[in-house]
Amino acid sequence: MYVLWRVIVKEFLQLRQDKRIIPTVVLGPVVQLILFGYAANLDVATVPLLLVDQDRSAASRELVDNFVSSTYFELMGVEDAVKDVEPWLVAGRADLALVIGAGYGNAVAAGRSPQVQVIVDGSNSTAASLGLGYANGILQAESARLVATRLQAGERSLIEIVPRVWYNPDLKSRWFYVPAVLAMILMIITMVLASMGIVREKEIGTLEQLMVTPIRSWQLIVGKLSPFAVLGLIITFLVTGIAVGWFGVPLRGSLMLLILMTMLLLLNTLGLGLLVSTIANNQQQAMMGSAFVVMLPQIYLSGLIFPIDNMPEVIQYITYAIPLRYYATILRGIFLKGVGIDVLWPEALALAAFGIGFLALASLRFQKRL
Amino acid sequence: MSEETQNRRLVVEAKHLVKRFGKFTAVDDLTLSVNEGEVFGFLGSNGAGKTTAIRVFCGLLKPTSGMARVLGIDVTDDPEEIKRRIGYMSQRFSLYEELTVLQNLRFFGGVYGLRGKAYKEREKWAIEMTNLQGKEHLQTGDLPGGWKQRLALACAVMHRPKIVFLDEPTSGVDPISRRRFWRLIDEMAGEGITVFVTTHYLDEAEHCDRLALMHAGKLMALGTVSELKEVFSDRAVLEVKCPDIIAALDLMSGQDWVLETSVFGTRMHVVVRNAQEGKRLTLQLLEGSGNAPVEAREIVPSLEDVFIHHIEKEEAAK
Amino acid sequence: MRRTWAIAIKEIKQISRDPITLLMLIGAPMLMLVLYGYALNFDVEDVALAVQDRDLSSASRELVDRLIGSNRFELVATLPPGSDIQEFLDRGDAVAVLIIPERFGQKLAAGETSEAQLLIDGVDSNTATTVLGYVNGIAAGINATRARESLRVEGNEHLLSAMINYQPRVWYNPEMVSSLFLVPGLIAFLLMFTAVLSTALSVVREKERGTLEQLRVKPLRTSHILLGKLLPYLAISLAGVVLILVAARVLFGVEVRGPYPDLFLATCLFLVGALGWGLLISTIADSQAVAFQIGVLSALLPTLLLSGFLFPIRNMPQPLQIISYILVPARYYLVILRGIIVKGSDLSPFWDQMAYMAIYTFVVLTLAAVRFKRQEG
Repeated sequence: MYVLWRVIVKEFLQLRQDKRIIPTVVLGPVVQLILFGYAANLDVATVPLLLVDQDRSAASRELVDNFVSSTYFELMGVEDAVKDVEPWLVAGRADLALVIGAGYGNAVAAGRSPQVQVIVDGSNSTAASLGLGYANGILQAESARLVATRLQAGERSLIEIVPRVWYNPDLKSRWFYVPAVLAMILMIITMVLASMGIVREKEIGTLEQLMVTPIRSWQLIVGKLSPFAVLGLIITFLVTGIAVGWFGVPLRGSLMLLILMTMLLLLNTLGLGLLVSTIANNQQQAMMGSAFVVMLPQIYLSGLIFPIDNMPEVIQYITYAIPLRYYATILRGIFLKGVGIDVLWPEALALAAFGIGFLALASLRFQKRL
Repeated sequence: MSEETQNRRLVVEAKHLVKRFGKFTAVDDLTLSVNEGEVFGFLGSNGAGKTTAIRVFCGLLKPTSGMARVLGIDVTDDPEEIKRRIGYMSQRFSLYEELTVLQNLRFFGGVYGLRGKAYKEREKWAIEMTNLQGKEHLQTGDLPGGWKQRLALACAVMHRPKIVFLDEPTSGVDPISRRRFWRLIDEMAGEGITVFVTTHYLDEAEHCDRLALMHAGKLMALGTVSELKEVFSDRAVLEVKCPDIIAALDLMSGQDWVLETSVFGTRMHVVVRNAQEGKRLTLQLLEGSGNAPVEAREIVPSLEDVFIHHIEKEEAAK
Repeated sequence: MRRTWAIAIKEIKQISRDPITLLMLIGAPMLMLVLYGYALNFDVEDVALAVQDRDLSSASRELVDRLIGSNRFELVATLPPGSDIQEFLDRGDAVAVLIIPERFGQKLAAGETSEAQLLIDGVDSNTATTVLGYVNGIAAGINATRARESLRVEGNEHLLSAMINYQPRVWYNPEMVSSLFLVPGLIAFLLMFTAVLSTALSVVREKERGTLEQLRVKPLRTSHILLGKLLPYLAISLAGVVLILVAARVLFGVEVRGPYPDLFLATCLFLVGALGWGLLISTIADSQAVAFQIGVLSALLPTLLLSGFLFPIRNMPQPLQIISYILVPARYYLVILRGIIVKGSDLSPFWDQMAYMAIYTFVVLTLAAVRFKRQEG
C-alpha cells in the first residue's frame, strides 16, 4: 500500500510541474463550452430571404409582411426578375427566394388561385428544410385566412395536434450539446494524459528503471492512473458547474449518480489510454493513436453530437461497441430526464463491463518485462 | 565447500546463456561468474551485447536458452525476487527531471518499501554520498550531468542491495565527474557491495577487479587486468610515428613479421614477436619507402591493445 | 529557388519515411469522410413512435396509419390505456408518443375540433423540432382532405381556388441529401486538419530535435525555409482533396458541378493560409504536444463549429460572428466550395470571399515569417 501511495504522490508532483496541464484542463474545456454552448445553435434559425415581388399590390405586400414579421426570415434584398435570383443563391447571400408573380393581387381579389413560388437553396439541407417548413407554414396560414374570409360557414371540424415537449420544453439545443461537452472533455483529457504519461516514462527511460524495482504492475498502473481519475472528477465538477450555473442546463437527477457513472466512464478512458501506451513507442504516436483510432470514432458514433437513430442500420449496430454511447445516454438521462439507476442500469452495466475489459486487456499487455 | 556456500559466494552466474531477438543473436553462449564484493567490469563496443546481458540478469528479459542466476536465484524462476534484492542504473540516468532531489529519493525509496526512520537514515546517507547537501530542493533537471549521475546511483542503492548493476553509468559525463563517480564505486565495493558495471571507456576498466571482454555477443576474454595483458607475454607492442601514417599502415600490414597493426590518432601500434628485431625492421622498411623521419619505441601494452588483439583474432577466425 | 527545392525534397523524404505522419495525412481524411458521411446526418428518418389509442375508432386508426405510412415514423409500441408513458420516454424507447383520447372520432364526426396529444422527447432539440414539423404536416394534410371533402359535399368547391397555389422548388439538391451538403464542409475541415497540424508538428519536431537550428546556420533565407516546408504539405493536402473528391463520388455519389480550375485556385489559396496558420503555431509552441493542442483549439474546433459547416453563423452571438470573420477562413472557403461543387458556379461571384481569404493568408504568412525570423536572434 505504501508503494502505491508513493507512486500516486509522485504522479501528482509531476502533474503539478507539467506546464501543459493548465491549458489542457482549463483552456480546452472553456473553449469547447463556449463553442458548443453558443455556436452550436440550431434553435431559432432566421433564414436569409430574397424577395421578388412582381405584383406590388396591397395583397402581395401583406404576404411579404407575413414573412418578414415572422422572425423566421430576414429580408436580405429585393429583385425584379426571377433570373436575378440565381446570383443571390449561388453566393449564399440568401437561402430562400419568395417569388410573387404579377397578377397575385388580382387573383386574390377575384377569388382565383394566386401564384407564389418559393425557391430554396438545397446545398445546405438543414437550412433548406427549415426554410421550407417556415415558408410552408406562413403560406398555409395565409391560404386559410383567404379561404376563411370567403367562407361564411362556421368552424370546420379539424384534427388538432397538441404537442407537449418533455425534458426540454423550449427545445433548446444548448441543453443537448452542453452535457455532451462534459463527455468529450473527459474522454479527450483523461485518455490522452493517461496514454502519454506512460509513454513518456518509456521515452525518458524511467519505465525501464521502474521495471527493475520490486514494484508490482498493478501498483504502477493504479498509481499512474489515479491522479488522472481525480483530474477527471475535478473536470466533472467544473463543467457541470458551468453547465448548470452559466448555461442554465438543468441537473434533474442525482449528482452522486452522475459522479459514480463518470467513474465508470473513467475506467474506460484510462483503460484505453493505457492500452494505447502499451502499443505506442513515443508521445506523438500515442497522441495520434488516441486521437484518430479511439477518440474520433467514439465521439462521432456515440450519439453525443449526431443522433444514432439517424445513422444507417449497420453503423447503429457498431455504436453498441462504443462505450461513450452508454455514457451519453446516462448523461442526458441524469441531466435532462432526471432518471435514476432503475432506468439506467443496463447502460451502467455495459459501461462497467467495457471499462473492466479495457483495463484487464491493458494490464495483460503491460508486463514488467521489456 | 558445499554447493550452498558456493552459491552465496557467486553473486552472478551464467552458463551458456543465449539471448536472441528474432534472427539476431545479442548474447551468444555467455558463461561467467561474479564473486561477492567484486567490481566486475563488462567491456565492449556499442552493440556488443552488454546491455542485453545486464537486462537478462535483472529479470527484464527472458533468456532464450542457457542458465543465469543472480544471488542464487534463477532469472526465469523468480525475476521479482531478484528485483527486490538488486540495484540497477540504466544507461540514461533515469530520474524524474521535473521532481526535486528529495522527491526522487523519496519515490525510489518508497518503491523499495523504505519508510519512516529507515528511509530518513538512507536519505541522509544518500545526500552525503552524492554531496548534494543544500541542493535537496533543486529540480533534478537543473542539475549538471555529474550530479544527476550520482543521484541516480544513490536512488539505485537506497535499499542496500547486495549487488548493483550499472549500465554505462559514465557515458556523456565530464572526466572529473567520471573520476568522482569511480571513487564512489570503489567506496561501495569497500562496503561489500558487488558492482557489475559495463563501460566502453577502457581507462575505467583498470578500476575493475576482473573484466569480461565482449564482442558481437560473445565473451572473448575474462580475468584480471594483468591476466588479460598476459596475451602479450611472448610478444611486444611498438608505438610508431611517421609522416604518412596511412601509407605506413598499408605497408606494414603486409609484412609477415608484423602480427597486428592499429592506428591511434597520429601514431600506430604494431605488435611483433621481438621488440629489438621489430624496431629494426620497422625503421628499415618505412625509411626505405621514403616515409621519414620514423620513431619507434616499445611500450607497455594497454587494455585497448588487448581488446584490439581479441577483436582481430575473432575477425580473422571468420 | 534551388535551395527551396532542396528543403522541399528533404521534407518529402522525411515524410515518406515517417509512416505515422503519412497515415495521418492520407488515412485520417478518409476515415473521417466515412465517419462523418455516415454518422453526421441531420435527416430525421424512422422516428421511433409509440401510440396510445384510447379511442380505437376508424378516425384514430386513420391518423396512425397516415403517420406510419409517411415513412417518417416507425411504430415501436402500441401502449394500452393506462400504461406508464413517463417510464417509456425515460428509457428512451421512443422519441415520441401519440395519445389519441376517447371520443376522438366522435367529436370529428360531430363537426368539432378534435385534439390528439403528442409527447416528444425534447433532449435532442433538433430531432424534436423536425418530428413536430412532420406530425403537424401530416395532420394538416388530413385536415386539407377533410376540408376539401366537406366543401364538396356542401357544394362550395369553388372556394378551394382561393387558396394560394404554392410551388416550392428546391434548387441544386432537390432531394435534400445530406451528403451534398456535407462534402464541401468536410473538405474544408479536413484540409484545415492536415495542413495546420502537419506543418505545425513538423516544424516543432525539428525544433525539438535541434535540426531547425542546423537549417538556420546554413546560408538560407527565411523565405526559403518556409517555402520549402510549405510546398510538400501543399502537395500532399491537394492530393488529399483529390482523394476526398473521388471517395465522395464513389461512396456518396457527389460530383463537382463547377469548373475544376476554379476549385483548384480557391483550394490553393485556402491551403496556403492554413499552412501559414500551422507555421504561426509552430513559432509559438515548444513541444509537439502543445502544438497539437493549439492546433485543435484554434483551427479544428472553430472550423467545425464556427465556419457555417454544421451551424449557421448568422444565429451565433455577435462576438462569435466577429471571431469567425477574422479567424475562420473556412467560412469563406465553404461558401466557395458549395458554390462550385453543389451549385455548379464558377469563381466569379466569389471575388469578395477570395479577397478575404487573400488578406487572411497574407497577414498570417507575414506574421509567421516575422516571428520565425525574430526567433533567430
